[in-house]
Amino acid sequence: MTRWNELSLTRKVQLGLLAVAAVAALSIPFVADTFIIRLVTLSLVSALFAMSIDLMAGYAGLVTLGHAGVLGSAMYGVGYVASKTDGGIALQIVVGFVVGMIMAAIFGLMAMRSTGVYFIMITIAQGMIIWGLASLLVNVTGAENGLLGIRRPLRVTSDVDFYFLVLAVFAVCSILLFIVVRSPFGQALKGMRESESRMRMLGHNTAFLKFYMFLVSGFFATVAGILLVYLNEFVSPSDVILGASAIPVLMAILGGIGTLIGPVIGAFVIVFLRNWVSLELERWPTLMGLIFILVVLFAREGLVGAIAAWWYRRIDKGGRPATAAPSVLGAPDHAEVILTESG
Amino acid sequence: MSVAETVTTTPRSGRLKVAAITIVGIGALVAWVLTQMSLVSFFAQVLNGLSFGAILFFLAAGFTMIFGLMRIANLAHGGFYLMGGYVGITTVLVTGNFFLGLLAGGASIMVLGVFAERILLRPIRGLEKPEVLLTIGLTFVIGDLSLAVWGGDPRQVQLPEFLKGAINPFGTFFYPKYRLFVLGFAIVLGGVLFYIDRRTKIGAIVRAGVDDRETVAALGINIKAVFTAAFMFGAFVAGMSGVIGAGILALLPGQDFEILLFALVVVIIGGLGSLEGAALGAAVVGLIDSFAKALVPELSFFTLFAPMAIILMVRPTGLLGKVQ
Repeated sequence: MTRWNELSLTRKVQLGLLAVAAVAALSIPFVADTFIIRLVTLSLVSALFAMSIDLMAGYAGLVTLGHAGVLGSAMYGVGYVASKTDGGIALQIVVGFVVGMIMAAIFGLMAMRSTGVYFIMITIAQGMIIWGLASLLVNVTGAENGLLGIRRPLRVTSDVDFYFLVLAVFAVCSILLFIVVRSPFGQALKGMRESESRMRMLGHNTAFLKFYMFLVSGFFATVAGILLVYLNEFVSPSDVILGASAIPVLMAILGGIGTLIGPVIGAFVIVFLRNWVSLELERWPTLMGLIFILVVLFAREGLVGAIAAWWYRRIDKGGRPATAAPSVLGAPDHAEVILTESG
Repeated sequence: MSVAETVTTTPRSGRLKVAAITIVGIGALVAWVLTQMSLVSFFAQVLNGLSFGAILFFLAAGFTMIFGLMRIANLAHGGFYLMGGYVGITTVLVTGNFFLGLLAGGASIMVLGVFAERILLRPIRGLEKPEVLLTIGLTFVIGDLSLAVWGGDPRQVQLPEFLKGAINPFGTFFYPKYRLFVLGFAIVLGGVLFYIDRRTKIGAIVRAGVDDRETVAALGINIKAVFTAAFMFGAFVAGMSGVIGAGILALLPGQDFEILLFALVVVIIGGLGSLEGAALGAAVVGLIDSFAKALVPELSFFTLFAPMAIILMVRPTGLLGKVQ
């Protein structure tokens, strides 16, 4: 173990903030009302989902706009058992998990040979097809009416208890993701982000790597889906629309793509902003679209990127930039000079 | 990154086998379909599929041209379709002229397209993913503002008198005139586009631009003007197809994403950057959708999954996509 004194200033501050966040997370139920607790719970679930997307978009550089198909499949798996059969909680979770993972595997098999814009287009189509199934397959999904009759497990029926459950799952998943992105597999994903052809030249089977990535990312998306369906106690086609896949991507970019903390910050900002805006006016999708456009135009580094840039310039000189925005959202290395000139 | 670098190709030896399996598969499918319905309704479904495919072709032709030239996957194309359709419906209501509605729907979206290309997309030109993400943000804005202006009720366009009703050429086969008009319109537009693409200087510039933008620019052609023109064309056709489509499918919120899905599947199946691919993909997707809606209505979106998956596995660039 490294001693505290040997840590860099940056690392010390990071650990300090983590401790503050942990204390805040544990004390929220005792100071906030139910409404806020539900919002924080939703933020944590959204953050987990956004992190699973960031594993693909930020770490592997493969932006997906169809991941709500995986999340939603898990939700429908749970919902189907809960509302159409008399299966217990264990069966609901197992079915939700299996359906979500199967969908992640199918998505992976379909998209594993593509990259860049093709990858985005294929994932959109995948997600939209799940939406089509959700809205037409009346006997299974209940179509527009959705699936009712989903109930939280007895021990966590109250919002506070459920919050602690979500917090625990979120913490475990965050640690797992932390391990994943530092593992050789995580490094291989980053390698693919920087240059897929070079990774292939080094002997990596990038198609298999992408398939594996879908399974790992799909695991966390599935877990998020199971939590979300119990949080809402409801699932309907609006959980799998394109927006449901696009908003977590926005969360990841807004927070800082290619980091684990970025999607979490982005999730809290978007969830609370959405809630606040929806109280004031009806046009949330317009505002969300405008945020999308503005972030993409002017703030591709995200909040983490902006803070890190300031921090490394003023306080801890010589640090490296924190986000993957330059390689994911910057110019590809083949960008033509003619095309990037302004004017 | 060129199209060829992003995918791996199927070796030539495997192609004959794939073609044989495909033909046998399609034959078996048609045979099965014929056991499920009468010949007359089979014929009607073919026409339904092709007329829906016609609308998809309008969309995919613009989408694929913008992508081929600029490498921008314009996800706002569905939004363009929706808003163009609404503008057209309103214009027809006010003026009573269907063709003026087509023009208004196309022209209004063309203005929007120029704004998107010149103001929003130009600062991030060449950044592939930000371009895509920006267009999706634009879709949300367009869809939501359309909802604010035109409301959530389904809306159809008022058809001119001579396109109302059905024809009955053989005494036993009634078919809506409007759908035949749409099909004819697509064939004419497709013919004109192919002529421009193959026989005129504009077409030569566009084809050269799809293959190699720098060389075209180095030859003294204003590639930026070509880009803007391509975007204008794509936006105009998308807006116009919204008006045309509103005569077959009622417009309602959410249809922007639905039609975008169809357009994406068309270009994924047909192959990006080629006009023939757009035409072939549109016909295939239109036919699949029409038969699926007749035979297995609950699975009608899901039936797009299988052909897309198969094509992505054997030919990731699509049926007629460029493989160099």
